[in-house]
Amino acid sequence: MSARAIDVKLPKPQGPYPPTEAMLSEPVSEALQEEQTVRLRKAWETPKGWRYPTAVNNTEVGIWYTMTALAFMLLAGCMALLIRLQLAVPENDLVSADLFNQLFTMHGSAMMFLFAVPMFEAVAILLLPGFLGARDMPFPRLSAFGYWCFAIGGVFVIGSIFFNVAPRAGWFMYPPLATEDEGPGSDIWLLGLSFIEVASIAAAVELIVGALKCRPPGMRINIMPLYAWYVMVVGGMILFAFPPLIAGDFLFELERSMDWPFFDPTRGGDPMLWQHLFWIFGHPEVYIVFLPSIAIAAMIVPTVAQRPIVGYSWIVLSAVGTGFLSFGLWVHHMFTTGLPSMSLGFFSAASEAVVIPTGIQLFAFVATLMVGRVKINLPMLWIAGALAIFTAGGLTGVMLAIAPFDFQAHDSYFVVAHLHYTLFGGMVFPVIAGVYYFMPFITKRLLDETLGRWAFWLIFCGFNITFLPMHLSGLLGMPRRIYAYPGGLGWDWLNLISTLGAFVIAAGFAIFVFDLVTHPWRKPLSPRNPWNGGTLEWTHDVPEENWGVRSIPYINSRYPIWDDPKLLDRLDSGRFYLPDAKEGYRETIITSVIDAKPLYIQRVTGPSWLSIWAAIFTGGCFILPTFHIYGPAAVCGALAGVFIIWWLWRDTSRPPEADSKDAGLGLTLPTYASGPDSVGWWAMWITMLGDATAFASVVFGFFFFWTANADFPPEGAADPVAALVGLAALGLTLGWAGTVGARMLNRRGRVGAARGLLGGGAVVTAAGMAALALSVIDLSPREHVYPAVMWALAVWILVHAGLGIVMQLYCLAASVAGKMTPRYDADIRNVELYWHFHVLSVLVACAVMGLAPMVL
Amino acid sequence: MSHDEHRIRQKEEKRAFREEAESLIRITLAPVIWAGHFLLCYCTVAVACAKTGDVAPWRGLLIAITLGCLLAIVWVGWRSFRQWDVRRTGDFTNPYGEAEDRHQFLGHAAFLLAIISGIGVVYSGLPLILIGGCA
Repeated sequence: MSARAIDVKLPKPQGPYPPTEAMLSEPVSEALQEEQTVRLRKAWETPKGWRYPTAVNNTEVGIWYTMTALAFMLLAGCMALLIRLQLAVPENDLVSADLFNQLFTMHGSAMMFLFAVPMFEAVAILLLPGFLGARDMPFPRLSAFGYWCFAIGGVFVIGSIFFNVAPRAGWFMYPPLATEDEGPGSDIWLLGLSFIEVASIAAAVELIVGALKCRPPGMRINIMPLYAWYVMVVGGMILFAFPPLIAGDFLFELERSMDWPFFDPTRGGDPMLWQHLFWIFGHPEVYIVFLPSIAIAAMIVPTVAQRPIVGYSWIVLSAVGTGFLSFGLWVHHMFTTGLPSMSLGFFSAASEAVVIPTGIQLFAFVATLMVGRVKINLPMLWIAGALAIFTAGGLTGVMLAIAPFDFQAHDSYFVVAHLHYTLFGGMVFPVIAGVYYFMPFITKRLLDETLGRWAFWLIFCGFNITFLPMHLSGLLGMPRRIYAYPGGLGWDWLNLISTLGAFVIAAGFAIFVFDLVTHPWRKPLSPRNPWNGGTLEWTHDVPEENWGVRSIPYINSRYPIWDDPKLLDRLDSGRFYLPDAKEGYRETIITSVIDAKPLYIQRVTGPSWLSIWAAIFTGGCFILPTFHIYGPAAVCGALAGVFIIWWLWRDTSRPPEADSKDAGLGLTLPTYASGPDSVGWWAMWITMLGDATAFASVVFGFFFFWTANADFPPEGAADPVAALVGLAALGLTLGWAGTVGARMLNRRGRVGAARGLLGGGAVVTAAGMAALALSVIDLSPREHVYPAVMWALAVWILVHAGLGIVMQLYCLAASVAGKMTPRYDADIRNVELYWHFHVLSVLVACAVMGLAPMVL
Repeated sequence: MSHDEHRIRQKEEKRAFREEAESLIRITLAPVIWAGHFLLCYCTVAVACAKTGDVAPWRGLLIAITLGCLLAIVWVGWRSFRQWDVRRTGDFTNPYGEAEDRHQFLGHAAFLLAIISGIGVVYSGLPLILIGGCA
């Protein structure tokens, strides 16, 4: 190895680790504690006044996120009340059929996309750093960006109902009804919710990296809080579940706006493709909603029982097992579409199998409660309600998973009852339990005991009054989504009871929301650990401090507060890691994935307008096309890019002023990392995994058409020009090689050659893009799905190659500006990873476009 | 045990439980086998039924693959059971922040996941045996 190669090496962590008891018992002088506290407080100060929205701290963003999701939930709940009023009596004419369609479509869409999934992200952003004793999430501005995307997109989607243009084809938007629907409703659904899915993926990236890399030193994988396990599993599920829907949205919107016939059977398309893509997303999504909520229960139950959870490994098994099995269920939403009976058998079998891990975690909770000393406090009351309701919903799920039963109950109110039992029991109740349990952590105040009991009994009874009769109305044949029904079919009184029950639920929510919103003014500060919990979030500061933890502790058990009586004192006095912010930066410790060994100190980004502007322009880019305003939408897209690049350029991966610094307890840690050690590289990896899944879904579309169509590719259809496809593959592969070569040369100190390869890589990439565009230019995508799918593949690759060029030029500029050097090369390591994924998708796409026409 | 033997043993254990040797991906091995098996069965049946209307020629092969997957899962399960090492330690919970506990915990989790994946593969195999047609 040459001298130069050694020269660019970053320092390794140095000093004693793990800390000895003697080191930990050494006191910190009062004066030093005081100085450190002042500096730390200054670094983590929340902006005040008109700058408040620029805050990015997880506690601020988390609260906005949860409150926005709650507001959307209440709106969607009001829509449900209107639906129930309309159905209270036969042949009612309170609302028109059209408005009724908008109401139920929006109720379902909003509850799923604007409440259930975002609420998981919101709660996780708010709580996860607390569970892990981290100061913040690894990418605070990404959380903020995700939040603003969600808020803008959510207001746009839900606001449409006030203008009478809301989507109205049902929350799963089946074509041809949804593709043929007049007016912007379907576009609002597609583009608005795609925009929000961006926020979901951003949150998934943030949360997976958070759980894997931001644990405190010593918190090995076998002692991390169960919530972190669930978050990791759910983050992974989002990466495989949301992209098929994004791919479906991509195809759907191409059909809506450009008339490319992906779902139109008269031109070779197939509406079933949408059903597949939607439910490959839709069923895992149920578990994406359920698992993090039951994770809250996994945090509450040990505290209530005042003992460690029974069967930690069993719960990990449940989370991971459910995560996998939930992907084998999607066709159980399509049992009546005429698929081969053997295929139905596979999905029926998996639907029954998933009950096992789902059940195991509930048994683990019950076992913990049985061997502990349980006091029924408010959080436990809601958890008990959740277990009761979810179990009932699970049992009807077992029934519906049996195909012949489903044939009978399909699209009836029985299904409506089932899904509300699972979602209320699996999501709403545990989340409310979490609200009561974690409120002393969030606002430093307890909610009201009496109001809480009233809210519980009203919602619990109201829920059963509303939804229990629906099982019967469904079995009596009442279909879902009808706006009126004739009297005398035995449905009348059942519907009336359901409507009454709905208002009882509403009364319960009114009490709950009143308490939630007004308690900061009515309630005194609570004790620091009011429930006597054992996990790290209860080391929080009362009254609030923004730094997360005063010093980042060394952890070696699952319930450190219970097991280590000295923990709190040491933590508060700054005895542990990073007790100071000498340079005035926000910092947190990044640790290794399995054993949480300290790796380096990560500077996290602080308050900024940039993420808000980036979100606003990203919003413009998605929202304007709804009204067929394409020019300004493109401008918005470009501006969003500018703001994102500005944010990355100014504040991420800057060479630090010193290579390493004192982290406390004698440990010196590097201040910069690149490649697999760094969180940015992991974020890129995770994002690209999601992106690859979306691409795979588009390719799946191609093979789906081939399977379902006797005539695909159609006789005599024009194919993409094979030679040009070959050239495109060559150009884009050279673009990849240029990036990889530039990374290697840069590391060896040959900066000039690296810059040359980056520039040259961008040029050959552009040439490859031109060849790819020319290869399909003569195909007419409106005529048949075959040319349309070829175009879709080309568009996908072109957009990604364009991004690849932007990244190459970014690295080139960073190298010229001295932001990226042979020593500090995180930028190009991340870009190289992007290109690894991209070149794979290029080769697959070119194989499909160039070779498949010859083979099939 | 002499002092030297003890030291060698300690060194061995250190190596056996070192972090680099462990991976989260490994505990998902059995579920990945389930997923691969599931996809393979579903895709084969979907294509065979759509293209030829008859899945019979593929049934035997798919059942054989199912048995192969089960064997693979049993192997994964046995290996993880050894890694968990509960018969020697008697430790079912592995609640401490030590390399050994982490190592055995990952074995325990992988073992349980192998059981559930095995059940999943058996379930997916049932339609191959019981239904057997495209109708």
